Amino acid sequence: MSNLNPNLKKMGNYASIALVVIGITLIIAEFFVHRHGEIALEDLPLFPAIYGFAASVFIVVVGIGLRHLLMRKEDYYD
Amino acid sequence: MTDITPGILMIIAAVFVPYLPHHIRQIFMLGAIALSAFSLSAGAGIHWSVSVLGQELILHNADNLTLPFGIIFHIAAALNVIYGWHEKKAMEHTAGLAYAGAAIAAVHAGDLITLFIWWEATAITSVFLILASGTERANKAAMRYLLVQVASGVMLLAGASLYWREVGSLAFGAMELGSLGTWLIFLAFGIKAAFPLLNGWLQDAYPEATILGTVMLSAFTTKLAIYAFARGFAGTEYLIWIGAAMTAFPVFFAVIENDLRRVLAYSLNNQLGFMIVAIGIGTELAINGAVAHAFAHIIYKALLFMSIGSVMYRVGTAKATELGGLYKSMPLTMIFCIIGAMSISAFPLFSGFTAKAVIMKAVGYEGLVFVYLVLLAASAGVLHHSGIKIPYFTFFGHDSGLRPKEAPFNMLAAMAIASVLCIAIGVMPTQFYQILPYSLDYQPYDASHIVGQFQLVIFAMLAFTFLMRFGFYPPEIVSTVLNSDWIYRRLIPRMGSPVLAAANKLSVMGNNIIVSSAKKIMSGTLYVYQHPLTGPVAPGPAAIALLALLMSVLLLVNLFS
Repeated sequence: MSNLNPNLKKMGNYASIALVVIGITLIIAEFFVHRHGEIALEDLPLFPAIYGFAASVFIVVVGIGLRHLLMRKEDYYD
Repeated sequence: MTDITPGILMIIAAVFVPYLPHHIRQIFMLGAIALSAFSLSAGAGIHWSVSVLGQELILHNADNLTLPFGIIFHIAAALNVIYGWHEKKAMEHTAGLAYAGAAIAAVHAGDLITLFIWWEATAITSVFLILASGTERANKAAMRYLLVQVASGVMLLAGASLYWREVGSLAFGAMELGSLGTWLIFLAFGIKAAFPLLNGWLQDAYPEATILGTVMLSAFTTKLAIYAFARGFAGTEYLIWIGAAMTAFPVFFAVIENDLRRVLAYSLNNQLGFMIVAIGIGTELAINGAVAHAFAHIIYKALLFMSIGSVMYRVGTAKATELGGLYKSMPLTMIFCIIGAMSISAFPLFSGFTAKAVIMKAVGYEGLVFVYLVLLAASAGVLHHSGIKIPYFTFFGHDSGLRPKEAPFNMLAAMAIASVLCIAIGVMPTQFYQILPYSLDYQPYDASHIVGQFQLVIFAMLAFTFLMRFGFYPPEIVSTVLNSDWIYRRLIPRMGSPVLAAANKLSVMGNNIIVSSAKKIMSGTLYVYQHPLTGPVAPGPAAIALLALLMSVLLLVNLFS
């Protein structure tokens, strides 16, 4: 695995910084926009942000657990 | 002319496809699709029915539910022709055109028998798209696919017969779950819609089809099932829970799967879940949401399969472990892939946003808080495996060192058209909502909704970045991830052989008992024969009678052993 391609690494860094900037902008926007959701819970401050982040982490953690249970060699069925 | 069922012309045209030279064939197919689409202008009503054995078969029924499916199926069929323009062999084109035609005709079936005929026709035509791969692996997957699809058809036929006896009509309309007949129909639809545990065929077969075949398959079969549920079982509460499970489970599998076409097959399954939930709610708003989502989904799913297909066409694999760093060599494919990814992830200004918003509104309106939260989490999951994983591991990630050429022009053209449609649906919701079955006065673009949706997707992306940077994200591993097809590929065959062995053992044991008892009787008889009783107490005839009795028992035993 040639993980060391400098271009890709640089792009990854830029993308991460951009994401963080957008994330901070959205947190600030929360104070200026009267946000309301389809359910009452969604009206809590920063609910979509926190829920989106938590759900993603949860999915990955469960996914890793699932690997132990369900992952087999590639030629399992052959 | 417009009385002819849409789709039938495509099936007839498919017969001629193998005999036409390459470019003419492609133009001919586009012509056939356009001509078939012309029948969509017939308007609502029953346009063609025939009487067979005293049964009225309605071949062409059109209403406000058939129209959006008719439109999108024709668009998908045309996109497939363009995407496959470079393919000189006729097999996929023939099968694909007939398959699309059968799905379109199925949508316009007004009774359950006509529906059954086209239902099976989609199975039989589409299996060639998998067989066309030509590998041993694909052949086996194709046979499993066909078995499952035909099983669905047989259940539909059995259900339809029972339903006919029950209500005296074969008309395909809203049904109430309760009798065996309706349950069989429900399950038949459920197999094709890839319900949890009935979904194995989808992730098993789609990634084994040819590049063009997978793109074709992604549009029709499952969305035909969605249409059938919307017509037959709208408002069936079970569907809410089944759908919610469908949105959730495939997400975990998609995160750890290595074959990117299989990842997309899981994500397809997850998207169907949103539609099934909406159909389960069954209000006009919810049905609008289901249809809007099916419409938008067919385009962005095809776009994603096309982009991965183009990569596969150039480098010969769709495995995440073997891809990466292609952004420079296939920049246009990358852009189209990202447009598809942003659409499925429901970024504002993309089609997934305007479509999914209607479903979420319907769920929220019914006060289904738990289901709403599941769908919201599943949306974050979609972003993970389709929105980020697909483009990231293909075009960025670790550098595979592969430097292929950009995709062929026709593939790029098909992806460009699909991309334009994704964005058009995203930026023109009012026009888009006009093709839905019921009138919808809804504006998804307000500051509140936009900020909320951006928060969800951006922070889900931040979670990905965070997990990736700190090495928590599960690395891609060359592997097979077990799915529900394991039940019939492993569990039943493996369980079957011990059962057979036990049965064999039991029969051997029974045989031994019979043989040994026969021997004992034989030796007893011999003993009596060799030691005749003497004296007047035992008259000769008595001894002979006993002997005869024992001999006949012996004979009987021998006869049955």
